[in-house]
Amino acid sequence: MKEWIEILLRSFGLFFLTFLFIRVMGKKHLAKLTAFQFVNYTVIGIIAALISVKVVNSVRLGVVALVVWILLPVVFEFLAIKSKVIHDFIYGRETVLIKKGKVMEENLKLAKLTGEELIRELRSKNAFSLADVEFAVLETTGEINVTLKSNKQPVTPYDLESKVAPKAEPQTIILDGNILHDSLNNLGLNEGWLKTQLKGMGVDLTNVYIGQVDSSGDLYVDLFDDMIQMPQPSVKEMLYASLEKSQSDFTKYALETQDEKAKKMYAKHAEELENLMKKLQSYLLH
Amino acid sequence: MTVGSQVKQTLATLKGVQGTLRTYSLQSQKEEEKAAYNEALKTTNNIIKDLEDRLKVLEYEEPQFKGY
Repeated sequence: MKEWIEILLRSFGLFFLTFLFIRVMGKKHLAKLTAFQFVNYTVIGIIAALISVKVVNSVRLGVVALVVWILLPVVFEFLAIKSKVIHDFIYGRETVLIKKGKVMEENLKLAKLTGEELIRELRSKNAFSLADVEFAVLETTGEINVTLKSNKQPVTPYDLESKVAPKAEPQTIILDGNILHDSLNNLGLNEGWLKTQLKGMGVDLTNVYIGQVDSSGDLYVDLFDDMIQMPQPSVKEMLYASLEKSQSDFTKYALETQDEKAKKMYAKHAEELENLMKKLQSYLLH
Repeated sequence: MTVGSQVKQTLATLKGVQGTLRTYSLQSQKEEEKAAYNEALKTTNNIIKDLEDRLKVLEYEEPQFKGY
């Protein structure tokens, strides 16, 4: 056999073989590998390359080595799922570097990290001052994760004691001027609804690049023609304004009317509307 | 503007509000949101009913403006 044909065949075969094997090994992000997994992947890559360009002459021997390097991690991973002890043995355990705001020097030494490296990692997590850090841990992948002291953490709606409306993820229903029927049906909407909405906005379907529906059913579109300014959906703000207007009307009528019974009725409803506004505020204003 | 026509305007605004509320109560994906809109619908329904009753009284008192 001519040499170049042999190399061609080997390369083709190994390409698909390694592709398949890597798929079997699961989907882990390359940046999140432990040191050993990284070595493992590298060895697989090198063996495949060596067989492919005929540095390793016998395909059979090469594939044996390849299979060992691929099967062992798969077996170990399976065992690691079953047993915590084996898991810790294979992957190691995370190391606490900062606890209650104090640097654990011994652990730092064990992890072979210098103070500079620790500070650099903290900075990359936006903790420029060591005084702000409550807890830091070195993960088995070598990443350092940080919790800030509770008074330095970003404010959440919970901290502000304000109510926010629950929101589901928006669904994309138009892409490149085409309707995505699956997601449209998932929302319980149909093409007729979409046509009406687009007509209301005054745009044609073919001019829409992306169209998304949020969890309360409002449509947002991005057009191919960027010169056209699309109005943002403001129906909710208008609704809130109408409620506000009616509420003030009721208050006014309550003051103006001479009829005692009507006065009471107006005042009661003014209060009801005010409560309603408070309840709907988190949904309507955002 | 007479009191009657002012009340009629408010009634129209409220009915518009109700329409929008109903749309949102149907097309919202979250149960919680749906419930909030449905409750709002109930409240506005009561208010509209009372307002319509009051309007009848007003029209009786100002018969010359009836229908405006």
